[in-house]
Amino acid sequence: MRFQHWFYTIPLRFRSFFRRAAVEKEMDEEFHFHLERQMDMHLAKGLSPEEARYAALRALGGISQRQEECRDMWKVNLIDALVRDIRYAGRALRKSPGFTLVAVLTLGLAVGANASIFAVVYRVLLNPLPYGNSDRLIDLGSAMPSRNIPSINLTTRLYYQYLDRAHTLDGLALYQTDELTLTGQGTPERIRVSRATASLASVLRVAPVKGRWLSEQDELPGATPVGVISHGLWARRFGQDPSVLGRSMRLDNAATTIVGVMPASYAFPDPGVEVWIAFPLTRATASDAYSIPGVARLRDGATVVGARAELSRLNADLAPEYPDGGYGQLVSSATTLMEATTGRVSRTLWILLASVGLVMLVACANVANLFLVRSEARQREVAVRRALGAGSRAISSYFLSESLMLSFAGGALGLALARIAVDLLIAYGPANLPRLEEVRIDSVTAAFTLALSLLNAIVFGAIPLLRRAPLGAALHESGRGNTASRGRHRARQLLMGGQIALALVLLVLSGLMLRSFQKLRAVDPGFDAASALTFRVGLPRSEYPNRVKMAAGHRAILDRLSSLPGVTAVSASTCLPLSDGCTQGGPLFVEGRVLPPGAKPPIVGFHTVAGGYFEVMGMRLLRGRGIDQRDVERNEPVVVINEALANILFPRQDPIGQRVRLGVPSTSADAPGWLTIAGVVSNTPARALNEAIHPPRLYMPIFWSRETNISARLDAMSYVLRTKLPPLSLTGPARGRIAEVDANLALTQVRTLQDILDRASAQMAFTMVLLLIAAGVSLMLGVIGIYGATSYIVSQRTGEIGLRLALGAQPRTIVRMFVRQGGIVALAGITLGLAGVLAGSRLIESLLFGVGPRDPAVFTATTLLLLGVALFSCWLPARRAARLSPIDALRSE
Amino acid sequence: MSKPSDLVQGTLDVLVLKILALEPMHGWALSQRLKQVSGEVLQVSEGSLYPALHKLEQQGWITATWKPTANNRRAKFYSLTRIGRNHLTREAANWDRLSAAISQVLRLKEA
Repeated sequence: MRFQHWFYTIPLRFRSFFRRAAVEKEMDEEFHFHLERQMDMHLAKGLSPEEARYAALRALGGISQRQEECRDMWKVNLIDALVRDIRYAGRALRKSPGFTLVAVLTLGLAVGANASIFAVVYRVLLNPLPYGNSDRLIDLGSAMPSRNIPSINLTTRLYYQYLDRAHTLDGLALYQTDELTLTGQGTPERIRVSRATASLASVLRVAPVKGRWLSEQDELPGATPVGVISHGLWARRFGQDPSVLGRSMRLDNAATTIVGVMPASYAFPDPGVEVWIAFPLTRATASDAYSIPGVARLRDGATVVGARAELSRLNADLAPEYPDGGYGQLVSSATTLMEATTGRVSRTLWILLASVGLVMLVACANVANLFLVRSEARQREVAVRRALGAGSRAISSYFLSESLMLSFAGGALGLALARIAVDLLIAYGPANLPRLEEVRIDSVTAAFTLALSLLNAIVFGAIPLLRRAPLGAALHESGRGNTASRGRHRARQLLMGGQIALALVLLVLSGLMLRSFQKLRAVDPGFDAASALTFRVGLPRSEYPNRVKMAAGHRAILDRLSSLPGVTAVSASTCLPLSDGCTQGGPLFVEGRVLPPGAKPPIVGFHTVAGGYFEVMGMRLLRGRGIDQRDVERNEPVVVINEALANILFPRQDPIGQRVRLGVPSTSADAPGWLTIAGVVSNTPARALNEAIHPPRLYMPIFWSRETNISARLDAMSYVLRTKLPPLSLTGPARGRIAEVDANLALTQVRTLQDILDRASAQMAFTMVLLLIAAGVSLMLGVIGIYGATSYIVSQRTGEIGLRLALGAQPRTIVRMFVRQGGIVALAGITLGLAGVLAGSRLIESLLFGVGPRDPAVFTATTLLLLGVALFSCWLPARRAARLSPIDALRSE
Repeated sequence: MSKPSDLVQGTLDVLVLKILALEPMHGWALSQRLKQVSGEVLQVSEGSLYPALHKLEQQGWITATWKPTANNRRAKFYSLTRIGRNHLTREAANWDRLSAAISQVLRLKEA
């Protein structure tokens, strides 16, 4: 039915718009034809031609009017009017550049903030991962709740278990990321390499842009080592050479043939990985070491919950056959890959988006206020237009076109600002924000900005139309002796109260975040971060095939570094606090203790350290002694444990002198010998400063650990240089000394201990800074809004003030009157804001640290700050008015 | 000439459609025919006829073509479209229902 309509109407509309002249001419002709026939009829009745003509015109009732009515029927008038209105609006805005500038800047800032945070939210949280059907991908995380382990990787034995028996999975893959030294073309470089099963590409549904992915033949023992390189490495190292396939590169000095290049969008498991090589895996070598992450694709119809249940059951099935593998306690905590990648930042990002949304509202309130003032000033103009016959539609479209122009100008400015903001964010955003490299302003963000601008335009355009004085009153309004109506003041006070409420919400949010940040920075990291340089040196396994060679290599480096001028002490550890990659660990048994049936020994992370490590790091020795150079030289089987481990194993005993052993009881025949505990050191956080539980740690001397059968890897160690010089100035000299040992060694992760500490609070700092900016902007806009509103009210009442002053009122009384009025509005706004923030405080609880979401100190401080600022912004214009002499005030009209 | 009330204005559309359903004609002929058929009961302003015609045309109920008249003058002839005919049928039925209902009410006797 509608469609049939369009068949007739669309051509007509087009014709009446684009062939305007022809249509007009036809209409004239039609009317003239009518008139002529009518005149003919009158002439036939005997009227004179003159009389006949007038009679005909009279019957028609005015040709111009009728023709205008016909034009209305064509609907072209609307478009005409719009073009005209836009022209008028442009002229009107040019005439008041101050208003235009303030409105566009305010909108631009707010839209820019919204567009940039929206771009982050959209690209990070909403945009699917760049793999085929990525919503079906799951991360195969597990946990051992009964042993207080919230997150643990897979074992290779589980891989085969799932591969053979899981019905909910449609393929799974393992990957393990490592750092290897790349030599060959150019300078040696430590790069991140992922060992991946051949199934990874088919699980993720990605294909190389050149060549092929790893195949199952590549995994077989004795196969020629091959590697697939990232697009980034191809560009950086090979200049996008199209003939790169078949070329050889050396990874830890092993010749590896390049067989494929991945697309630039491919960044699995993380964007830092530049080469993928085969995972050496066979059923015969499957082990129970929980060290390998896995990813899988859900079979059609399967759900994440279903997969969790099935995988947990499959875990338990392994327990009877491998009783020491821990499979009985292993529970699958599989989540979608998206959730696993971005889950921990999603709440933060949504809260940031909501915060900039609030800033948008505050900005809107400000611009609405400007519009209100402007529309009041034009009350008479509108009344004249209406008196001359402009309908309410004509007037609405006139105001709408003005607000449209402003909003789009603001939107364009906002989009430009968002571009800059996103670039800054990528450059300076927290490194641990996932998918940050994917963030950009795309068409979705542009559409969002457009929609936001349209919404703004409608809101502002509607404001002048909401209240319209009766026509007569508006025409009579002469500007003398009358004050703006109560209703208008109420509208203004409503906006003011709303701004205060929103500003309070943002102030409390940022205040809570600021307190959390302070608390986080006040956490004792257990080491001294001041003035120390660290970097990691990896030894290629080809040159340093065994632990003895590796230990010797590290020792040579330590010797060279200790003689560097300006270095007061040097040591090294396989793992630093607050760093990733400290995955080595195992169950720990105490000499002379028999575990009750069912009890499990604690899983302890272990670090291999060089002599003097605790002293160089500034870790506090709580009992006994540290590991010194003599322990290293003597191969003394002594270890140092941290406070957390001491509390677990020896809550009421002195741990010094107790002996412990790493490993599993069933292989105790070749287990390492007993280790004597020589000391207890302070806890250091493993991954995050706000860790609820300090992980138990065992430190052993580097040269001794060659006797363990546990795969304590020594190939890479983090060096710590304590110095009195600016730490980073030592980088060059240190690199030189290391090159003296082996010119093929590369330094990675060069930074100060302070950097490591700062990085640990970087995400909270990021959230805090953005929230502080949002709160600051909204406070500033709020002040401008309150000041502007009060100034306007005061200026409207100058005559009244003059009268009061003339009649003997004290200036103080006048000031008090205005401040009281403002204060009432401010208090109402604050009450509203407090109610809002109390209702929503649950949402932010998980972002906070060491401070409750209803922290009274933060609430009190922000409320007082806002109240003070609001009263001050009322007081300024009120005082100015009260200082006028009564004569001037009365004359002001 | 009094301005026709809303009821009459709405009715004008139906009258125009009905007359055009009988045969296509130009505006002036239509105004004469309206006077003729409705007599003095319905005072249709000639002036409101053209806006009504243009509206009906824009709505797609009627369509216009330029044709020579009997005495060889070019004139804009209006005729009913297919959807216009459907519309007329519906409107006529509505009108019948409405007038029947009103008549019934008016025939009620006082108790």
